[in-house]
Amino acid sequence: MDPKRMSRRHFVASCAAMATGLVAAACAPKVVEKIVKETVEVEKIIKEVVKETIIVEGTPQIVEKEVTRVVKEVVEVLAKPEKAVISFWVEAPSTERREVINEVYRDTFNAAHPNIELELTFTEDVDRVLRTAMQAGAGPDIVTTPGAGFILEYIIAGHVAPLDELAEHYGWRDRLLPWAYESGVVGGHLYSLPLTYESMVVFYNKTLFEAKGWGIPTNREELDDLIRACVADDINPFEYTNSGWKPATEHLIGMFYDHYAGADNVYKALIGEKKWTDDEFVEAMALMNDWFQKGYYSGSIDKYHALTGDDTWSAVANGQGAMQMSGTWCFQSIGPFFEESGQEWDWFPMPSLRKGVKPVYALATGQTESINAKSMHQLEAGAALDWLYNNKRRALQISSSFNFGEWMVPLNYTADDFPVGTDPRVVRFFVDFAKVTGRGDYGYTTWTFWPAKTEVFLWEEYDMVLAGEMTPAEYQARAQELFDEEVAEGKVPPVPERF
Amino acid sequence: MRDRSLQASYELKERTRQRVWRKVILPWLFVAPLLLLNVVVILGPSAGSAYYAFTKWSGIGPAQWVGLANFRRLAGDRVYHMAFVNNVKWTLIFLTVPVTMGLLGSALLAPIKKGQMFFRIAYFVPYVIASVVNTQIWRNILHPTRGIGVMLAERGLKFMDVTFLGSRGTVLYTIAFVDMWHWWGFLVVLYLAAMQAINPQLYEAARIEGATRGQEFRYVTLPGILPTLVFTVLMTIIWSFLVFDYIYLLTQGGPAHASEVLSTELFKSAFFRFEVGYAAAIGVSMSFICTLVVAGFVILRRRGWEI
Repeated sequence: MDPKRMSRRHFVASCAAMATGLVAAACAPKVVEKIVKETVEVEKIIKEVVKETIIVEGTPQIVEKEVTRVVKEVVEVLAKPEKAVISFWVEAPSTERREVINEVYRDTFNAAHPNIELELTFTEDVDRVLRTAMQAGAGPDIVTTPGAGFILEYIIAGHVAPLDELAEHYGWRDRLLPWAYESGVVGGHLYSLPLTYESMVVFYNKTLFEAKGWGIPTNREELDDLIRACVADDINPFEYTNSGWKPATEHLIGMFYDHYAGADNVYKALIGEKKWTDDEFVEAMALMNDWFQKGYYSGSIDKYHALTGDDTWSAVANGQGAMQMSGTWCFQSIGPFFEESGQEWDWFPMPSLRKGVKPVYALATGQTESINAKSMHQLEAGAALDWLYNNKRRALQISSSFNFGEWMVPLNYTADDFPVGTDPRVVRFFVDFAKVTGRGDYGYTTWTFWPAKTEVFLWEEYDMVLAGEMTPAEYQARAQELFDEEVAEGKVPPVPERF
Repeated sequence: MRDRSLQASYELKERTRQRVWRKVILPWLFVAPLLLLNVVVILGPSAGSAYYAFTKWSGIGPAQWVGLANFRRLAGDRVYHMAFVNNVKWTLIFLTVPVTMGLLGSALLAPIKKGQMFFRIAYFVPYVIASVVNTQIWRNILHPTRGIGVMLAERGLKFMDVTFLGSRGTVLYTIAFVDMWHWWGFLVVLYLAAMQAINPQLYEAARIEGATRGQEFRYVTLPGILPTLVFTVLMTIIWSFLVFDYIYLLTQGGPAHASEVLSTELFKSAFFRFEVGYAAAIGVSMSFICTLVVAGFVILRRRGWEI
């Protein structure tokens, strides 16, 4: 037989061997922790009774005497425990930002904790990967979710551990912004901490405003005047789009709820003391629809559905559009558009849209962090989590790589905390946010405080309102139905009380 | 004598053993790896999906058995109906436009002897470009402020000033156009290969009988490529009900569900609304539709259709 050719019998045998090997490997128990013993020589102090002859009154006598001496002994002991490896899956940012996170967070933590090794894994679409892993009873030690609605599902399923003892040990309640801490408390127990916080503001082209002599609107009348001035000059008052990210519509919905219906009413509706079908909410959605129908957003509803995010920022940066209602996560991306156009951007807080309604900053958390209930190293994971929150300077150093648009952990910052050279417009926001929300003037964002099904309905079906297929009243009525269902199922995320 | 009988018995046993090994065990051993893979990767998840279709399950934690509740909900779900209608429209578009273009293209290309390879490659290239790249190219071409529509409108064709991907009236057809752009060239190459397998003597005979090009196509080419044609029709129907990538990449089913199809609705149910049980029910309904199509073809074959 040609030695280079494999016989059929050999081929079958090899296949069978490989299959057996694969099955055996798949069935092998997972090694959770390796127990290592070692033998060491130790010195031991022992007590001995020795007989000694002493002379008493000229007569030798034998007496027993207890003496201590040191002996060497070889014993078997447990070897020093191996390092606890803490896995932490993180939504993948750009390469440069990963380097900053690794250097400022992971490396400093590992250097300060010789017995713990923090492993960061940057993953695209971390939520979907994590869901599968958690459902399979695996997953990382530190669990990241996209927001409060998502973590609630893990809490209900018992996949994440309560953090109350860790919170007490590390003093998280005192360190975090109160509302941000409360957003992770479910059924009286803390389960998650926000990795980032954000809010909604109105970005605008400052160069254009100065050239046209437009001022910053502080109430509905001034905003209406500004919109009219924009339209008269053939400039789109606002630019926005939902083509790349359909949920973008909910950014606007929250703004109209908070600034037309009012944050107090939103709170009451969230805790069941008001109905979403009440006039304030229906009118808020009708006003938003009216602005869309008049082409105030990106020129037309069709363009709102078709332009890209880059298109809308370019339009504002070039003065074709005046403003953009958007989230503070845009701090990280807005700069290059204005650098290219040579114009200047700034922001202002959204003015009230109805008399008697206070302007507020909407509260929003981005990702949340929890500890896997199945983690073998929950204490060590707690230490790794604390490392994100226990030093403002370090936290801001990480966040500065995102121009404070992401990884902005909710601590009580002052202007002095920010690194030298930080964009003053960014500092102004965070200082003002702390001041305004600190006196209780805050609103709510749908992606942080609404249950999942109702939230998806809000951003998905508002398109039907824009298309004229549904009235604002019908839209609110359906939202109420879904909300009631989710209240009954205990799916409403915690809502910070108003004070 | 006894020795010979023992010998014969031993040989019979050995022959039987060898026959069992060769006819029963060996074939199973050969298919075993693929079978194992199928059970793990296809049969297991399929059975899982079928089970979860009868449950209320968020995708996290335990599932709760709800019987036919998800299917009853499907029957009254307005968005599901819109998605189903869009899938039907999509199927009709793909059964007519690219198939006709593919047949036409291959029929025109078949007689060409010189440079045929160039055309084959040119038609085939869009098919091998990733859908993410294709959609990005067309997103730019169809851009509402600097795309081809605006350019043509500026040159007098005012009716072309359309927001192709933003208007409810045009969005589904626009995405279908983009998908067809990459798909029809593949059909050309497929039909061309089938046409080249037809016996040239049949064409000669047809010409001697005075057949025109149209008659050649009708009476020689079409019957010759019928199995390929039917296969592509079958696959087109099945793929049309599974379409996801082009729609999700371009519009995610919007605006206002105008380009929603069953797979995008399934995706949103599972990953945005935490309704994995309901999403599984949508998936089962899609599989049911595809099974009906395949069963239809099987019945036609059994009735003697040469397909």
